[in-house]
Amino acid sequence: MRRQRTKIIAASVILASAMAFLVVAGIKNTSIRHYTPDQLVANAARVNNKGVQVDGLIQEGSPNWDPKEFELTFAIRDREGESTVNVTYSKLKPDNFKEGGNVFVEGKYNAEHNLITASKLTTKCASKYEAAESAGETTDY
Amino acid sequence: MVAEIGHAAIWLSVFSCLWAIVLLCTGLRYRSYGAIISGRNGVVATFLLISLATGALIYGFVTDDFSMKYVAEVSSHDQPLMYKITALWGRMSGSLLFWLWLLTLFGALVVWQNRRAKDRIGDYALVPISTVQLFFIILVTGLIEGVYNPLARFPNGATLPDGAGMNPLLQTPSMAFHPPSLYIGFVSLTVPFSFAVGALAAGEIGSAWIFRSRRWMIASWLVLTVGITLGGNWAYRELGWGGYWAWDPVENASFMPWLLGTAYLHSVMIQEKRNMLKLWNIVLITLAFEFTLLGTFITRSGVISSVHAFAQSDIGGYFLGFIGFSIIGVALLIYYRWNDLKSPNRLESILSRESAFLLNNWMFVGLTLIILWGTLWPIITEGVTGTKSAVPEAFFNKVVIIPGLLLLFLTGAGPIISWKKLTQSNFKRMFAKPMLFGLFSGALMWGFLALRGHTTPVYSVLCAFGGGFVFVAIFDEFYRGAKLRAKRGETSFLHGLSRLIQRNKRRYGGYIVHIGIVILYIGIMGSKGYFLLESKSLKLGESMDVGAYTLTMEDAFRIRYSNHSRGGVVIDVAKDGKQIGTMRPARGFYDRAGQGEQDTIESAIRHFGLNDLYIALGPLPEDVPTYVRAGELVPLQVYHNPLINLVWIGVAVMMIGGVVALAEKHQMKERET
Repeated sequence: MRRQRTKIIAASVILASAMAFLVVAGIKNTSIRHYTPDQLVANAARVNNKGVQVDGLIQEGSPNWDPKEFELTFAIRDREGESTVNVTYSKLKPDNFKEGGNVFVEGKYNAEHNLITASKLTTKCASKYEAAESAGETTDY
Repeated sequence: MVAEIGHAAIWLSVFSCLWAIVLLCTGLRYRSYGAIISGRNGVVATFLLISLATGALIYGFVTDDFSMKYVAEVSSHDQPLMYKITALWGRMSGSLLFWLWLLTLFGALVVWQNRRAKDRIGDYALVPISTVQLFFIILVTGLIEGVYNPLARFPNGATLPDGAGMNPLLQTPSMAFHPPSLYIGFVSLTVPFSFAVGALAAGEIGSAWIFRSRRWMIASWLVLTVGITLGGNWAYRELGWGGYWAWDPVENASFMPWLLGTAYLHSVMIQEKRNMLKLWNIVLITLAFEFTLLGTFITRSGVISSVHAFAQSDIGGYFLGFIGFSIIGVALLIYYRWNDLKSPNRLESILSRESAFLLNNWMFVGLTLIILWGTLWPIITEGVTGTKSAVPEAFFNKVVIIPGLLLLFLTGAGPIISWKKLTQSNFKRMFAKPMLFGLFSGALMWGFLALRGHTTPVYSVLCAFGGGFVFVAIFDEFYRGAKLRAKRGETSFLHGLSRLIQRNKRRYGGYIVHIGIVILYIGIMGSKGYFLLESKSLKLGESMDVGAYTLTMEDAFRIRYSNHSRGGVVIDVAKDGKQIGTMRPARGFYDRAGQGEQDTIESAIRHFGLNDLYIALGPLPEDVPTYVRAGELVPLQVYHNPLINLVWIGVAVMMIGGVVALAEKHQMKERET
């Protein structure tokens, strides 16, 4: 009985450390900075050529869709500050992509051109309605 | 007037709920049957009052009462009746009321189920259920900042001529039913949790509370599975990005209670068979319950940026507070009953069904922690280092794969390994065939992928190995059992099979679920691992290649519907030079354009066997035919998703298994001697 217990404890410890290792290694390899445009511009050198996540608002007048190159370009502006970041995205824009709307992109940052080549782009979730913020209530999914 | 009645009903329910809690506690403490009955009536009264309030809100929707704030925000005159009603859970205030209504309904059902029970566990369970109800009642009264009473009217008698209406993306059947099925799944988890707490409080920590709440648990699991799948299916069909799962925080929030619930469904079997893991089961069901609340915290508080959570509110704090309160409560009860929670039995061998179950639990809980860690990573990093980091989808995809494959293997190994100790004869008898077949399918997969030019498809080969192994292991279980029954009863094999399942619905229902899991895994492997994406803009008559398919843009069309029009193109699909079908991807143009509605992607999806061809159309002017015939470019984003239909088929099989398992009545009386 004693020996079985030791074995089981040993097995559990091994399993737990294997899981922990998976997580630590996974995070180390994939974790990226999450910035607002203001923060990104301030830390530009640090994340040059690295993956970043940025969330902010789609700058009014900036979106441009080029069907020939299959490329969407636009700028994200900070919610509070002045900074903007340019984005290119070579997939279709989601339905809720609206000038002035919330946007969240993930991709590689080029500091020289202040440009993110986005691999992922999400807008506000569908179930959130325009009145949400003005009505002062959170929205639903 | 109706809204005011509903409003009053919510306030009255505060008292009926308190009444129930106080009288049940008193009655149970002093063994007064009269007080218990009165407490039960309080639970039923709460249900009736909250039904009245919910009915009043629905009445507001149906009669287009836009003086009600909530109605004005999520409904409009021209919204079809069905979506007027589903608008009930369209936003937070209404969802909370709906959640509460479900909770009171389940409370009343527990009263009804236990009306003739000889023990008091059911009555004990009503106390935690009522406590959770009270929390939600207080939320919907509108006392808390950031949440308002869904029945409130605009101040000063103001009214809107028309409501803002629901987003067109949500006006689809799967989006109408995805939130309520998740809610039903989440809320029904409260019942087994309450039985656990009730058992602790009553000091009856045998298996009675598990038997009593078993069907609740299976039902909850079933509905949660449906809910999660409907969400994925909706995303796939409506959003135009060709996928169904993106490890978004909200998806994770619904997945984590599912994982814990699944772990619990397995671990209770050990308690039933071997009287072990008593404490663990209570901890597990408590965690599952807490994670349903945590999910709400994650999605509502705005602490994590996600598609679903940009806006912020105070409500997260209240959820966190209630989570803390309930955990402390359960911990105190556990401390109080510590001596009763010890098990007389211990594990006898590391190679036994008990340890397979244990490993299964480890994996489910481990996966939950991994996903929780990844989901909360932005908060953790911000708290610790001051700068926010996040993990992309790739993190989850990478990290879950090994525990996931191990779980797949256990899906087959668990049911065939012997209790107590794996003997050599058991191993030979049960494992040899499945192992061989597993190796065979792994090799087959390797060969197939190598021919296709995929160099190191290790995970796919392991998945094929696991799939083959589990299939044969489970089928063998059915085959053996059915043959034995057929022989004993001197009937046909099929009759034997049906008798076999009839006699032990939970067990064989569970095995059917396992088969569904294998199918689901193969589907995920194909669609996540081997999808193709090609994007190109075409002029009329031009073609593009996607894998083995050639797509040619042949024509354009425009169709008028009641509140929108659809314009799109006709795509001719050919494979190996042979025409095999046409597809009609489109964009939807909604009439409410003045209110900022935009045109939407209306993807075309076509099944070719188990694979899908999926076409999403880029932005186009409303008069598509004229535009296309003028020779302008049409942007096409095309996905080829291999085996994706196995995902839906797998879940459907899981559903069937779940329903079979649900059909089993608990046989507590025979068991508890």
